[in-house]
Amino acid sequence: MLFNSIDFAIFLPIIFILYWFVTSKNLRLQNLLIVIASYTFYGWWDWRFLSLIIFSTIVDFFVGQGLKRHSNETKRKLLLWTSILVNIGFLGVFKYYNFFLDNFVSAFTFFGKGIQANSLNIILPVGISFYTFQTLSYSIDVYRRKMEPTNDFIAFAAFVSFFPQLVAGPIERATNLIPQFRHKRKFDYDKATDGVRQILWGLFKKMVIADNCAEFANEIFNNSAELSGSTLVLGGLFFAFQIYGDFSGYSDIAIGTSRLFGFNLMRNFAFPYFSRDIAEFWRRWHISLSTWFRDYLYIPLGGSRGGTWMKIRNTFIIFIVSGFWHGASWTFIIWGALNAIYFLPLMLTNNNRNNLETVAQGKDLPSIRELVQMLLTFGLTFFAWIFFRADNIGHAFQYISGIFQDPESFINLSIYGQYKTIIVFLFIFICIEWIGRENQYAIEKIGSSWAKPARWIFYFLIALTTLLYSGQQQEFIYFQF
Amino acid sequence: MRKFIVQITILSILVLVAFALILSRANGYTDPFYIRFTTPKQQNLILGTSRAAQGVQPEVLKNAFNRNFNNYSFTIAHSPFGATYLESIKNKLDHDQKDGIFIITVDPWSISSTTLSPNDSLNFRELELCLSNTPKVDRDPNYTYLLRNLKGKYRELVIRKKAGLYLHNDGWLEISINMDSAIAEKRIAERVEMYRTTNLPYYQFSSLRLEYLQKTIEFLNQHGNVYLVRLPLHPDMMDIDNLLMPDFNEKIEQLAPQTKGYYDMTIFNDEFSYTDGNHLYKESGKIVTNKIAKWIKEI
Repeated sequence: MLFNSIDFAIFLPIIFILYWFVTSKNLRLQNLLIVIASYTFYGWWDWRFLSLIIFSTIVDFFVGQGLKRHSNETKRKLLLWTSILVNIGFLGVFKYYNFFLDNFVSAFTFFGKGIQANSLNIILPVGISFYTFQTLSYSIDVYRRKMEPTNDFIAFAAFVSFFPQLVAGPIERATNLIPQFRHKRKFDYDKATDGVRQILWGLFKKMVIADNCAEFANEIFNNSAELSGSTLVLGGLFFAFQIYGDFSGYSDIAIGTSRLFGFNLMRNFAFPYFSRDIAEFWRRWHISLSTWFRDYLYIPLGGSRGGTWMKIRNTFIIFIVSGFWHGASWTFIIWGALNAIYFLPLMLTNNNRNNLETVAQGKDLPSIRELVQMLLTFGLTFFAWIFFRADNIGHAFQYISGIFQDPESFINLSIYGQYKTIIVFLFIFICIEWIGRENQYAIEKIGSSWAKPARWIFYFLIALTTLLYSGQQQEFIYFQF
Repeated sequence: MRKFIVQITILSILVLVAFALILSRANGYTDPFYIRFTTPKQQNLILGTSRAAQGVQPEVLKNAFNRNFNNYSFTIAHSPFGATYLESIKNKLDHDQKDGIFIITVDPWSISSTTLSPNDSLNFRELELCLSNTPKVDRDPNYTYLLRNLKGKYRELVIRKKAGLYLHNDGWLEISINMDSAIAEKRIAERVEMYRTTNLPYYQFSSLRLEYLQKTIEFLNQHGNVYLVRLPLHPDMMDIDNLLMPDFNEKIEQLAPQTKGYYDMTIFNDEFSYTDGNHLYKESGKIVTNKIAKWIKEI
């Protein structure tokens, strides 16, 4: 079920009413409702893959119970590896099997030993990369004795499958979310209205910004060989905003929906395109995944302790694995490696924690220096996104070389005319994001000091604009990861 | 809780009402199909693909027969003969009518399909299009149609633009286009080439579609008289039609006895002007419609 669908617009109020009016007196019943709602939400896409979630839930629940019972380190390690192998095994089979097989065959062919292997026609289950990482965090945290395993299977199943963030995150930590399932939730008016506001902004980002950018980005990337340099730059720009609007929009809707049910999810995006260097960008982009890799991969590998080579190795590992997490393709691996190359100079010169505060905090406009830093950082991410979006590495290089082949096209203003509506929307969007950049999401505080009618008109206009100016409905990009 | 629900409900209603009001601005300029889903059930119909949609003018028939006609023709993608089109025709027809005039225009494309197996009706592409997803065809405004078929284009209803394409209330799709001979010839050459390279290799005769043409005739016979017409088209396009189905006329003539007659107007191909080789220009469409009216009267 898509957040931006009529199905979800009907589903959400029904679950909301059942949750607060029918099951609110019984915590277990309320959690059971969440599990049923979540399985319905997921099964709407393909009910067959529910079995993976259920299996993963059962395995990790019993791994947790086992870790509680055993103090013997060998047995505990065995239990942890059971959880890791099951979850990573699912990912391996469903997401990476064909990739490894194809590359294996290519490698043998390259060395003159042609072999034949049958690739499988495997459907990638939606959200598998998200919920497997979420349940893994539980097993690892219990193993590390960071948290007590839960004895409540329903609460645990609700944690694994919680529908607002099941298919595209934020990837929640067991330490944050499971305790919320174990305590009675109370309806909080301020929290609920804040949730609706965040949903509204998320829908605007998804339906107006991302879906409209997607139409042009797809058209330009699909026909890149025939287009001018300036159009290719616009294509890259549209994709940069498509992926941001799409994914951060999804996160906003997920967080807002959770708030309607009394839950607090972690923040996933913090205005990443206003970053002044790549390190700051990665503290602000897909925060739940970055911190997951930091806590469960980077730090166990030694982190930034040790010598220079250790730091370089760990940085490359974490970025390349992050790229590979996004998809079984060399384009994602190059994207990850590029970001590692961007990041390394900052880390090796100890400048990776220079920009911890929001840019131009308390001011209306950035300084010239900050503006240049932001544009440079955006330029770097823009360049890396080309690899992320391209069909293959050859396509990415062809796209990049195409940008530089026709410099006169950049001063041909007629090229921009056909994109004027979306360019105007992007300008308005960037302005609103800039104004709200010190908050959790852009419109969190905008209008809070206005008279009620003015505030209502503002929300009314955002909602109406979202309906009227929505692009062709597209699946969320991150569903495929 | 109560305050929250009341506020959300009010805001939602306000937004939905405003949205519905804007949707209700849809008109003949909105797209080439919408208006056909907004008019009342009809007693006399013109059926077929886009050749009929642009080429047969109900106003001319109204003057000739002193009764209203409605052009319920779409495109080769939307309205080839099949279960979808027949169902929609049934929905559009006033079932009390017993002496209607039904002009079914036929061409090779309307009894062909693009599926690998030509009778694979589960994968006919019209299943994904408006005739399939709009069961109510006489609602004004038709929100079902607008919500299911105009996604991503609602902005065009905010600021209405006049275009070269206008769908009249009687279902005739009027195309206003530059008909300077050099420009028209270029357009015709491009369209013919497009049909040759993009359509011809993928279309093949479907016996199921022919069967549905027969079922359509049988159904309409219960409500009046059926007339089969093959509209004129540019000679270069005719060549492609012949390549697709050299025995088209023989196929149709087998069905003709169940109708009042079959009028093959492709013998007049050279007499008319075409917007793109496939469709009659409006002036020619008027003459062709008059010829059809005369033919019907003579039968």
